[in-house]
Amino acid sequence: MTHTATPSSGGDVRLHRISKTYGSFTAVQPLDLTIPAGSFFALLGASGCGKTTTLRMIAGLEEPTTGTVELSGQDVTALPPYKRQVNTVFQNYALFPHLDIYENVAFGLRRRGVKSVKKQVEEMLDLVQLGPMARRRPQQLSGGQQQRVAVARALINHPEVLLLDEPLGALDLKLRRQMQLELKRIQTEVGITFVHVTHDQEEAMTMADTVAVMNGGRVEQLGAPAELYENPATTFVANFLGTSNLIPAEVTEADGTALVLTAGGATLRLPTRRCNTPARKGEKVLAGFRPEKVALAHADDAAAVPEGHNRMAGRVRIASFIGVSTQYVVDVPGVGELSVYEQNIGRDGRLVPGADVVLHWEPEHTFGLDAAQSLLAGTTDDEGAELDGEAA
Amino acid sequence: MAATDTPAQDPTATTAPAAAPAPRRSSGKGLRWLRRNLVTLAGLATLAYLILPNVVVMVFSFNKPNGRFNYQWTRFSTDAWTDPCGVADMCGSLGLSLEIAVWATVGATVLGTMIAFALARYRFRARAAVNTLIFLPMAMPEVVMAASLATLFLNMGIQFGFWTILIAHIMFCLSFVVTAVKARVMSMDPRLEQAAQDLYATPVQTFLRVTLPIAAPGIAAGALLSFALSFDDFIITNFNAGSTVTFPMFVWGSAQRGTPVQINVIGTAMFLVAVLCVLAGQLAGNRRKRSKRS
Amino acid sequence: MTATAAPAPPDEQSDDEALPLRRTPARKRLVPYWLLLPGILWLIVFFAAPLVYQASTSIQTGSLEEGFKVTWHFATYWDALAEYWPQFVRSVGYAAVATVLCLLLGYPLAYLIAFKAGRWRNLVMILVIAPFFTSFLIRTLAWKTILADGGPVVGALNALHLLDVTSALGITEGHRVLATPLAVVCGLTYNFLPFMVLPLYTSLERIDPRLHEAAGDLYARPATTFRRVTFPLSMPGVVAGTLLTFIPAAGDYINSELLGSTDQKMIGNVIQSQFLRVLDYPTAAALSFLLMAAILAMVTLYIRKSGTEDLV
Repeated sequence: MTHTATPSSGGDVRLHRISKTYGSFTAVQPLDLTIPAGSFFALLGASGCGKTTTLRMIAGLEEPTTGTVELSGQDVTALPPYKRQVNTVFQNYALFPHLDIYENVAFGLRRRGVKSVKKQVEEMLDLVQLGPMARRRPQQLSGGQQQRVAVARALINHPEVLLLDEPLGALDLKLRRQMQLELKRIQTEVGITFVHVTHDQEEAMTMADTVAVMNGGRVEQLGAPAELYENPATTFVANFLGTSNLIPAEVTEADGTALVLTAGGATLRLPTRRCNTPARKGEKVLAGFRPEKVALAHADDAAAVPEGHNRMAGRVRIASFIGVSTQYVVDVPGVGELSVYEQNIGRDGRLVPGADVVLHWEPEHTFGLDAAQSLLAGTTDDEGAELDGEAA
Repeated sequence: MAATDTPAQDPTATTAPAAAPAPRRSSGKGLRWLRRNLVTLAGLATLAYLILPNVVVMVFSFNKPNGRFNYQWTRFSTDAWTDPCGVADMCGSLGLSLEIAVWATVGATVLGTMIAFALARYRFRARAAVNTLIFLPMAMPEVVMAASLATLFLNMGIQFGFWTILIAHIMFCLSFVVTAVKARVMSMDPRLEQAAQDLYATPVQTFLRVTLPIAAPGIAAGALLSFALSFDDFIITNFNAGSTVTFPMFVWGSAQRGTPVQINVIGTAMFLVAVLCVLAGQLAGNRRKRSKRS
Repeated sequence: MTATAAPAPPDEQSDDEALPLRRTPARKRLVPYWLLLPGILWLIVFFAAPLVYQASTSIQTGSLEEGFKVTWHFATYWDALAEYWPQFVRSVGYAAVATVLCLLLGYPLAYLIAFKAGRWRNLVMILVIAPFFTSFLIRTLAWKTILADGGPVVGALNALHLLDVTSALGITEGHRVLATPLAVVCGLTYNFLPFMVLPLYTSLERIDPRLHEAAGDLYARPATTFRRVTFPLSMPGVVAGTLLTFIPAAGDYINSELLGSTDQKMIGNVIQSQFLRVLDYPTAAALSFLLMAAILAMVTLYIRKSGTEDLV
């Protein structure tokens, strides 16, 4: 399942210095982006980050303030939506309530003057497993069925690029999981380029092969899901994709391959290549690590912590059992509260609130970020991001 | 399917100054503008058509016509404005129209609201028949209702006058109140009433504290509509007034005998008062919304 | 046909509401009937009964002096039709033309308010509704000024030789507009235009703008989007608006009285003069009964045909 296997029906999308402003509000900052043909590309971010505006500019529903949009090498910036080889699965689907399912799916073909639509429509309805529903009205269908109609209605036109605007937002969790796999299956089957807008980081990581994390009208980071997760470039990405412990630290030593940091009296090691900011001796950086990468040892067993691990001492404040794991909040003097997720393999009965513990993890699992950023960017405590969302 | 080979270019989180605006193709600019704004222009033309008579009424309230009819511009004068009641019987008929409109509004609003609540909140037999009876007066030409009601009064030997007009007005306003109030009550979440009862409100308290305040905008809309319909009604009144003269009947008569400028003064004043009331209501609403938000 | 914004009536209320109903005492079960009683009684006595009474009047004979008696004299209907069929046809014709004009003029305005007015929406709405508050008779009289023989409108139409065209078509006469069919239809259109605009606006405003985008995304040009999506979805408004315009226009006699001449008399004029001047009550009753029957028949047929119940 590599690029060589995908049919060539998909087109690539090139955005060149594209931006959008509404009055004094800038929805999208000047942006260059290339989405390769046949890929499943996700634009991820909180509401109001500019991801939907970007998508709508590709669709032609929004005119960019500056810049150009290219589809398969052709400049389509000035083309209205009805002349672009691009189709959209709208948020809440926008199915025509006065037409039945069959006519909804046939709509695009008929507009382009295709005479015999019957075979194509039936095939498409079979692909999304809605054959028997053809003569029903959209409002008679369940949410998941409506969603599949919306996908069928767009795909039947064989667009070069399929745009999906929060396509699963209206579904409940279980159905969403199922549809994620379904959409992924369809994408590999038809080989069309998918551009998918979502605020759900799990959805983006499950489905997309490349994710662009957007915030405040710009792309914060772009890459494969695992890459973004393991090596976030900004605090926003670190907090928005999963959870991160971020602690301010000072560089005390820097050689070619590793940095030595001090934070709250502890000494941490950080491989230089995992530090996303040029750091010299005496400068500040943010040291980050994921809660699930950390191991927790009772203070009595501190001697058993493997040599070479980063370690910090603290006291358990909260321990919550959530089935697959136990989540701890540990108070580390001079640093603050840190999260630790422990797999429930061999639970240590001594790790209860009030217990003194040692946190330890491999230096390889540490990442370094520019210290001149908000620690809270991308978390739910990030007031600024919430307000921006309202403005859009 | 690790797409590490994605040739995605630098996603540029730069703040570099935006590139120059994309060039807009400008062939046949005027024509294109016209095509894009055709609907808007047509809509504005219709709006002008709707407003034009009001403008004419306003302008001609400052006229000083030579003859009895105020159809041709002669010269500017504020005489009519300084002496609005200078025409015999006109202000009397205006007062009568207002009086009838107020009582018709009260009557139709009370009766109509009761019916609306019954339809929206209860199940009972003959529901379809009631709905039809409410619908029919709105689907009936006024002249039919007017003539048939007058026939009834005539044959029962009832004296035409204030009461027959009021009866007729309540009759044709009723349906509009029912429609307005019913729409409002039906769009109301029944759980609100259940919540009130859950919070220890008796049925009467629930009605007064929850149901009625929520239905109030619908009732107000129905009442306003009743007032406007009653005040402005001519056809039904004409058949059922006998020798009583309401304001519209005065205007009708003056169209035959000669139209005093004061008619335009009254028309303009009503228009301005209505617009000011609506604007004031809007401003108050906006302020309330704004203060709520902050 | 009324343009209410109510959701589907919860006729079949959920069980949790039906249950207490069954347990309630008789006194409480009578509540809806007490609520209905005064208003419904009012409508029965002053609306329904008069219609029945009128039907009986239409088959009476007699004179004012000796009184009228039911003699099953159906000939009144034939006589009335034979004499006044031109007014009948004219009423339906004028009302139909005015309705079509209202639709053509009102649709762009409703569309403007619903989709294009933005922050001007409320102002435009006020301007549509505000004329209601000036007596419509005064406003109709203003058309006498606007369309006056020496006025700028007639002057402009003459200069463009448009009145020659309309005269050839038989809708104006000579070089004037007043006292011609054009003036009457113009007045009818003007008077009932808000009744078209408001229901159209209500149904247009309810259309999800994303449906327009979806149509554009699926290769429909703006004109096709309108024809295939916007217009079909606004059908409830179109039906309500045309009914609210056609019904009162067909029964109207004010516009033809004020703006027309004796050649533009409509059926309303005839009923009015038969009833109030000639005092021939059986003929007036027969004519108004015919008008009612004709309109109810047309409305029923129209609602069936347009299939509004099939729409959302």
